Amino acid sequence: MNTTAKRIYYIPYMLWILLFVIAPVALIVYQSFFNLDHQATIQNYVTYLTSSTYLRMTLNSFWYAFLITLFTVLISYPAALFLNQLKHKDFWLLLIILPTWINLLLKAYAFIGIFAQNGSVNQFLGFIGIGPKQILFTDFSFIFVATYIEIPFMILPIYNAIAEIDPALLTASRDLGATNWQTLIRVILPLTRKGITAGVQAVFIPSLSLFMLTRLIGGNRVITLGTAIEEHFLTTMNWGMGSTIGVVLIIMMFISMALTGEHKRKRKEIDTGATKE
Amino acid sequence: MTTPIIEFQHVNKFFGDFQALKDINFQLDQGKFYSLLGPSGSGKTTILRTIAGFNSVTSGTVLFQGKPLKNVPPNKRRVNTIFQNYALFPHLNVFDNVAFGLSIRHVPKDEIQTRVMDALKMVHLQELASRDINELSGGQQQRVAIARAIINEPELLLLDEPLSALDKKLRQDMQYELRELQQRLGITFVFVTHDQEEALAMSDEIFVMDEGAILQNGTPVDIYDEPINHFVADFIGESNIVKGTMVKDYEVEFVGKRFECADAGMRPNEPVEVVLRPEDLDVTTPDKGKLIVQVDSQLFRGDHFEVVAYDADHNEWLIHSTNPVKEDADIGLFFEPEDIHVMRFNEKEADFDARLEQYEGE
Amino acid sequence: MQRKNRLGRVYLVIVFLVLYLPILYLIYFSFSSGSTMNTFKNFTWANYRTLFADTRLIQIVLQTLLLALLSSLIATVVGTMGALGIAASKRTSTRNLMLSLNNVLMVSPDVIIGASFLILFTMLGISLGFGSVLASHIAFSIPIVVLMVLPRIQEMDHALIDAAYDLGASAPQVLNRVILPFITPGIVAGYFMAFTYSLDDFAVTFFVTGNGFATLSVEIYSRARQGISLEINALSALMFVFALLLVLIYFFIQVHQSNRTKRNKQKARNAA
Repeated sequence: MNTTAKRIYYIPYMLWILLFVIAPVALIVYQSFFNLDHQATIQNYVTYLTSSTYLRMTLNSFWYAFLITLFTVLISYPAALFLNQLKHKDFWLLLIILPTWINLLLKAYAFIGIFAQNGSVNQFLGFIGIGPKQILFTDFSFIFVATYIEIPFMILPIYNAIAEIDPALLTASRDLGATNWQTLIRVILPLTRKGITAGVQAVFIPSLSLFMLTRLIGGNRVITLGTAIEEHFLTTMNWGMGSTIGVVLIIMMFISMALTGEHKRKRKEIDTGATKE
Repeated sequence: MTTPIIEFQHVNKFFGDFQALKDINFQLDQGKFYSLLGPSGSGKTTILRTIAGFNSVTSGTVLFQGKPLKNVPPNKRRVNTIFQNYALFPHLNVFDNVAFGLSIRHVPKDEIQTRVMDALKMVHLQELASRDINELSGGQQQRVAIARAIINEPELLLLDEPLSALDKKLRQDMQYELRELQQRLGITFVFVTHDQEEALAMSDEIFVMDEGAILQNGTPVDIYDEPINHFVADFIGESNIVKGTMVKDYEVEFVGKRFECADAGMRPNEPVEVVLRPEDLDVTTPDKGKLIVQVDSQLFRGDHFEVVAYDADHNEWLIHSTNPVKEDADIGLFFEPEDIHVMRFNEKEADFDARLEQYEGE
Repeated sequence: MQRKNRLGRVYLVIVFLVLYLPILYLIYFSFSSGSTMNTFKNFTWANYRTLFADTRLIQIVLQTLLLALLSSLIATVVGTMGALGIAASKRTSTRNLMLSLNNVLMVSPDVIIGASFLILFTMLGISLGFGSVLASHIAFSIPIVVLMVLPRIQEMDHALIDAAYDLGASAPQVLNRVILPFITPGIVAGYFMAFTYSLDDFAVTFFVTGNGFATLSVEIYSRARQGISLEINALSALMFVFALLLVLIYFFIQVHQSNRTKRNKQKARNAA
């Protein structure tokens, strides 16, 4: 292939990189140095770093994301393990994936009904004598729904990691005298660490920015970094401050990626199993 | 003298710091079956890819029928290749794979139909024309690759280890078929292989390569009987190589004894290496043997026994014997003077040929 | 082992129940004649009738589909060309740089993408609406197409390309007759993924859509904030069935394909 022809078909993609990858990142950094009156300043960062509200919100956001990720791992790992022992495991895996094809907002909407003051859960609690409780618009409901939404994204990479293990290794472990439990702890778990890492990456960062859930399910009690960015951009129109928080989120993203090793792509992809590594 | 179909003149090729070809010179004649034989990394595939047009050369000239090949892209060369793993297009069926080259050139449909069917008939695949590639066995895929390459009527067919993926039985059958095909088509074949048996069986002429250089070329018999150096002797066939001294013309000394031999033209008392092929060694009683060795072990190989024995100097001797021998027994080895082949150290091919000519002509 | 298996089954049943109950709950109430998701009144199709009579919602559904079809189509074209370009780059460092840039949008949270695109469109003076949403959807779909197509290109035995040249094909012929047919499964998968990305997106669209244009996600969000409307339940039921159909088709194609390859292998073995 000659070089000129190569360049011509490469142009649209390069333009995309320039316009929608490099420019937006540059712009959000640039914007973070402007205040409401369009003056260049580092005031946004000073405000962010000195305001207890912002710092507490960041920590809170982190804490929620951590809890969501933790619960997702705890629920997903055994599920992935048992799934792998099933007969038609491909089919069951597909059933795990299916709910991710339902629009996230519809799932959130379902929980509005389930957790409502007079909703099913409260009817049940009333029935067994505990009496109705405020469930919607609490930390609990936010974490519950977020965990619910993230579970498939965690099960998939772990499932794939387990499926890749050579069954001979498990036989060997048994042969060498290990019990089922010892095989799990000393063979399966270490071999699936990559799957867990991939799952954590697929869940943690999105959990920092689930603003629609905080609005619909968390009421305005739960404020995450995502919520704050949305509010600054679309409600108070303080783009400078919004961008500053955005920059913080980007930095956190890089830190978490560096901590968990290689970069993992978005979730849908793990989802279809299209990337078999 | 006719123009050679391919000629390499002082061709060098570097990949970064690595020199893949070192001053390669040769000529290939029309209508012959050539083999490039050597271990992996010896540069034989580089030569093939240079002829096909997938490599450029760093320096030197490659001529095709007397005209420089430089600047002729691979798709304009009258050369076709059979690739190592056949490189059949998985999205096309047998017919369309074979038809590929013709349809690229917009040959009329009915002509394609007849020519493809003819080519498939030639490789005995006419019944499988509509099969998918992944529905074929390895041997059938091999035949499709052959049909696809010859349908373009190339002047030169390049074969890059085409038989290496087949099992032994099939490989031997294909050796006959390829040889026959080459004779029927009358075009030049250049066959790359690391399998010396394959090269010996099929070729008119063999080029033995190592580390980017051609060490020796000649007919299979020449190369087998008169290897130029230790590498060639060792690589081609099985051999016993021992150090010796060329006392004078037609007399060589090794393992402490002097033997009559058929080689000459060296300095008196020149240190040399001596080659004796295992099948040239006859087992006899110690008193009748020219050499006495002690049997170490033996394996039954079907048509012969392979005996490993050691002489007094602890040289290992490999012997092909029709009858079994006793282990640990002393046996005598008998051989004729012409079974001894003497090799000089660092002799170049040109000098080697000149020396051979000089005393063989006598 | 037996006991453990049973325990595992029970655990899986619970996981599946939790995953599906909310969805089934929505569908269940789509047939209720009441106005809340608290108690089921009487069975009715009324919510579906309302849904099909809601021209605004129908229009939004159509807009969303059109947006998804269009954005994924353009993203597939650009992404495939990008993947070919990346695969053709000679130096590994260039390739890695391009891949890293490609993946930026894959790993960025949606809010960041939305916010930064909003700044971009404002700076460029592009008004918010269908155009800005389309551009955004194309933008975040391109990298997934690249990631679907690139492995297919790299998986391709380079000897196939050599063979095509060897048989006389020109560069465009090699592209059209060998490379593109070979990577078609990757392109189709990429298009499919881009399509579902577009359908699924809420956050990015929410940032870059103006007042005049809404996608289904944005519409559901604004309606959900106003409270329960069983029309939405009817909509989710339909969307669930749609998703189910897609998944089933996908599954059966896969089963069919693997059976086919098995059969072919068998045939080859018999032939050998």
